[in-house]
Amino acid sequence: MTFETQMWRALGVYRVLALVYACLLYLRESGTYAHPAAGWAGVGIMVAWTGFTVLAYRRPAGRSWPVLAADLALGAALVVGSRYINDIERIEAGALTLPTIWVSAAVLAWAIKGGPWAGVAAAAVLGVANVFERGAVTAENIHNIVLLALAGSVVGYAARLIRVSEDTLARALQVEAATRERERLARDIHDGVLQVLALVQRRGGELGGDAAELGRLAGEQEVALRTLVANRDDQAAFGPDGDAALAGSRDLRALLRGLGTTQVTVSAPATPVVLPAPVAGEVAAAVQAALDNVRTHVGPAAQAWVLVEDEPGGIVVTVRDDGPGIPAGRLDAAAAEGRLGVSHSIRGRLRDLGGEASVTSAPGHGTEVELRLPRSSG
Amino acid sequence: MPPEAGSPDAPGATGPVIRVMVVDDHPMWREAVARDLTEAGYQVVATAGDGAQAVRLAPAARPDVVVMDLNMPQLSGVEVTAHIVAANPAVRVRVVAASGEQDDVLQAVKAGATGYLVKSASREELLEAVRRTAAGDPVFTPGLAGLLLGEYRRLASAAPAGTGDTPRLTDRETEVLRLVAKGLSYRQIAERLVLSHRTVQNHVQNTLNKLQLHNRVELVRYAIEQGLDD
Repeated sequence: MTFETQMWRALGVYRVLALVYACLLYLRESGTYAHPAAGWAGVGIMVAWTGFTVLAYRRPAGRSWPVLAADLALGAALVVGSRYINDIERIEAGALTLPTIWVSAAVLAWAIKGGPWAGVAAAAVLGVANVFERGAVTAENIHNIVLLALAGSVVGYAARLIRVSEDTLARALQVEAATRERERLARDIHDGVLQVLALVQRRGGELGGDAAELGRLAGEQEVALRTLVANRDDQAAFGPDGDAALAGSRDLRALLRGLGTTQVTVSAPATPVVLPAPVAGEVAAAVQAALDNVRTHVGPAAQAWVLVEDEPGGIVVTVRDDGPGIPAGRLDAAAAEGRLGVSHSIRGRLRDLGGEASVTSAPGHGTEVELRLPRSSG
Repeated sequence: MPPEAGSPDAPGATGPVIRVMVVDDHPMWREAVARDLTEAGYQVVATAGDGAQAVRLAPAARPDVVVMDLNMPQLSGVEVTAHIVAANPAVRVRVVAASGEQDDVLQAVKAGATGYLVKSASREELLEAVRRTAAGDPVFTPGLAGLLLGEYRRLASAAPAGTGDTPRLTDRETEVLRLVAKGLSYRQIAERLVLSHRTVQNHVQNTLNKLQLHNRVELVRYAIEQGLDD
């Protein structure tokens, strides 16, 4: 149930209570009226109208301006009518009108429906009726009018506030639902795009020539998009909102998978390999350097494999290529010539992290760079 | 392992035609794979667009090999694999997964899949994988070897040493698996370790069998425990 519906129900309760009050008053005063029968008829009209409005205001369609106008007109008519059914002397002495506070329900209805100004306007109409009933402008009259106008404006203001906050809430829920739907669509679209890229890569490779180049590009884009999606999930898991112990940590697998291409295969365990973010970044940079080395020394078409192992003693990352390998002895010579400069930067990085890097190679079996990083206590 | 593609003989030439079922929620991909397989002489007995359909069709279609996408709505590839293998242990399921779905691949392999292929694999790699899967030869990619290594380490660190029923790799099996994970072909591994090609294959097969057996034992134990608890 909306807040607005609840306000209309509260108005119904108010109107019934006001009716009971008016009835009790008339029961006590009916003897003093000039036309008691007409007074009873007026009470009957109030009872019937109260029943009608309580039912009508339940449904939004029943809270239309014509009904509200009739509500107010009836109230004003009963106020004015009081002058003709009560004793005129008693009226001029300040007797209450027949409906008394029952008419204020119409003011509140206008306020709920149209806001503070509508409430004040309705109060003004009843004020004019009041003055006419009394036949003069008196302090009492003015007092009643001010009270009615105050009630009308306050309730109208509150009703407007409630309506605005309800709209805001509804809009927020709408935005949230839309965001969820957009994310679901994005996942579907990503999946579709990834499938198509993989297919283009597959077909392109088979067709050869320019198509093979297109296929290779599609393959690279597939890896890039997949890494983007995976990293977003990774960040969601390890972000500042995640487990406090994992804040500032990265899954090494996610970083290394980003280095995967059609020529570089990255293999890793199924469980996250969590390292402090800077350490993971350094290891990934060392692997990148090793892969650059492969590209430079074996060739741009060289295949390479990256294996991540999470052992009890530490992390082992191996980068192997399918190049001709380096004959024994040549390795040291190459180092002496400065040709393994990149390897030095790899070694340097690992040493800074408290680990080590080793290069092994045999003719026909490619070259292997093994990075070992002990699990530090800190 | 593309380097040892072996004799590219037509699969139907030597024996009965190999029956293949293709399961993938992406119609374009499904049709491309089915067409490739048909052109290569395989009989595509069924295609399914989702997991539930695959489980429904499998008993009637009686495929020898199922080529299945892991990432599907509703019933996942892992669950479908478990269903199909439970219904007929002779069916060989080859999972096709995108990179980045490693955990699912591992679960599928433990549930009985005979290996996996990446989505970006070429036509030749796909056909070769299906041929070897049908022949009962697990096709290990480096990615799968890396997953198995990680899983055995996880099991070893989760259970204290000396516990009898945790599957463990022998040193030789670990050595072989690591070389597979580093992209060496069986031939290269055999050469390096001075073993026969067949022995390397057996070692690799063993690493998979132990894990699947362990998984089945665990499932049975779980079922019994649930039954006794109720």
